[in-house]
Amino acid sequence: MDSFDLIVVGSGPGATFAAWGARGHRILMLDVGFDPPDVPVLSGNPCELRVGGADLFSSLIGGGFEGLHNVFHPPVNFKLKAPYLSYIAGDWTTLTPITGNFAGAISLARGGLANAWGAGVYRFTDRDLTGFPIAAADLRPYYDELTSHMGVSGVNDDLEPHFERDGALLPPLRLSELFEEMLRRYQRHKLQFQWEGVTLGRSRLAVLTKPHNGRSAYAYENLEFFKPHDPAIYNPAFTVDEMIRSGAIDYRSGHLVLRYRELPDGIEVCARNLSTGDTETFQGRALCLGAGALNSARIVLESHSDYTTELPLFDNPMSCIPLFRLQRIGRGLEPRDTSLASLNLVMDDPAWPAPLQASLYGSTGPLRSDILFTLPFPFRTSLAVTKYLAPAMGLLMLFYPGQPGSSVRLKPSGELDVVFAPEPACGVETRLIRIFRKIGYLTSEALIQRPAMGAGLHYAGTLGMRANPGPYETDRNGKLTGTGRVYVVDGGAIPALPAKNLTFTIMANALRIGRQLARELS
Amino acid sequence: MTPSLTDEAVWLHRCLFHRPIDDISRKRYEEAHRRFPQAATTSLVSRVVAQRLDAEAVEFVLRRRGAGRELTQKIQVLSYLAEARPEYLAAFINTTPSQARAAAALLAAPLVAVWKSLKGEYLIRRHGLV
Repeated sequence: MDSFDLIVVGSGPGATFAAWGARGHRILMLDVGFDPPDVPVLSGNPCELRVGGADLFSSLIGGGFEGLHNVFHPPVNFKLKAPYLSYIAGDWTTLTPITGNFAGAISLARGGLANAWGAGVYRFTDRDLTGFPIAAADLRPYYDELTSHMGVSGVNDDLEPHFERDGALLPPLRLSELFEEMLRRYQRHKLQFQWEGVTLGRSRLAVLTKPHNGRSAYAYENLEFFKPHDPAIYNPAFTVDEMIRSGAIDYRSGHLVLRYRELPDGIEVCARNLSTGDTETFQGRALCLGAGALNSARIVLESHSDYTTELPLFDNPMSCIPLFRLQRIGRGLEPRDTSLASLNLVMDDPAWPAPLQASLYGSTGPLRSDILFTLPFPFRTSLAVTKYLAPAMGLLMLFYPGQPGSSVRLKPSGELDVVFAPEPACGVETRLIRIFRKIGYLTSEALIQRPAMGAGLHYAGTLGMRANPGPYETDRNGKLTGTGRVYVVDGGAIPALPAKNLTFTIMANALRIGRQLARELS
Repeated sequence: MTPSLTDEAVWLHRCLFHRPIDDISRKRYEEAHRRFPQAATTSLVSRVVAQRLDAEAVEFVLRRRGAGRELTQKIQVLSYLAEARPEYLAAFINTTPSQARAAAALLAAPLVAVWKSLKGEYLIRRHGLV
């Protein structure tokens, strides 16, 4: 049997950069690895294309009517139902089923859920890393390397104390008029904001504003909800492809890893070949689990035939707060806008263990039909309301830290049973509403939407790192307790979840672990 | 006689957009129903179409009551199909800046909602739809 130095499971942010860090050794990447469909993809701004007379049915709705998913089925994230993006969450309910009160999704695609991410990359500070067995200094060199590898745009501005200084940032994305004005008004009222502990600034995004490493710059086509693999928006699949081309990894797609067992001189990984249905085994000297917090937990529990232990699970609770600038009502839409986060907000209080973070978005990304029927108006009135209010509306998506009390357990049937604890009470929204009213942005608590737990898609903590790890926990190098060769490199290893997108930290941590493994394997 | 899917598409589309449905959208509406069998026409929808009732008003009232999901679904399908078509861009996107037009539409919104609500309630009771 062919044997490898390292077997990596998955191809999302963690798996990809664990493999990247361990290059130079014989690496096998086992992945289900769904790819985008091989069809002509939308090119050009959807609004401008329709002005030019183009029918966008194939791209916006799809020949299989994928775009109508939420009409007839429990709703999914708008991106995940778009015809050319539905591969991202394809088949997870049959291949890796989940029961319980789980309102999220899992990705088995090459690149993982990062195929649909908002590309926000935020360094964890020491305060964010409270409870971790590592410090910001441990991650900093890897954040730097990732910034260089992916290309990150942004500014070292008022948010620098929360995101750390990054000396290699590309220029930030262009702001729409709505957010240019918001930032200007913040600057004029900065003292009031600071008094309330609120700081506003530019987003840090793994999005290119200049060509970088062979990838082109962002073209403001506003296609994030419809187009896969925009070269300007970093996707781990790009790095996987690079490693495949260079021969750094042996990539086997169409394989669902089921379990592992440690051998005296290595590790054996058992996977189902999805084409043949056969079970195949692979051998290596070490194993990196990067299948996502939930699926890595599944693999570990199945490997121990453990159908009773409840592992902790975190996700960021969210609030979505629309903010309206009345003076902008009736303006024409800026078609060359972006649906990526334009601004970020951090809200802090000395009494809190960690700050809260929010991203601010325009409303030009998703289809209007996705939201029309959530409004308390008849259809034609809802059309008019969204049409005239959209240019005046920003959406503030506020994240809260992951709360304890949620868990995941493997059932003998192979399903994961997820129980999310109730959302915590959200008291800060009133303060935010008051602050923004002072600078001319209006809203009401009645308009706040709170997606169900699990919809944040920031799963973490199932196999968390500890200074003194217990069962089903990992040490500071990601090694699973009780094993000699199993490492966790995805969100499962993140032991606590601050109110900050964790993807960049998953990548940096995985790269750190991959480098460590490379030294050990040598 | 039970209205056909074509009759449905024609009438519901007229209620929503105050214009005839184009052939492409009509065919897509019918194809969507083949893809989603759960969208089969119910007696509620049949009666709204057959008796040429204001589907927008009826749907609004039923949606607020948490009832009549099947009529909402059919209207949603027509909305999605229209949004992809260039002829309907101006219905969804404000292509001509005008604060006056916007202000008038937004000020009228609650009044229209009240009117449609009253009309919908009347139609539901008058025709025994629920």
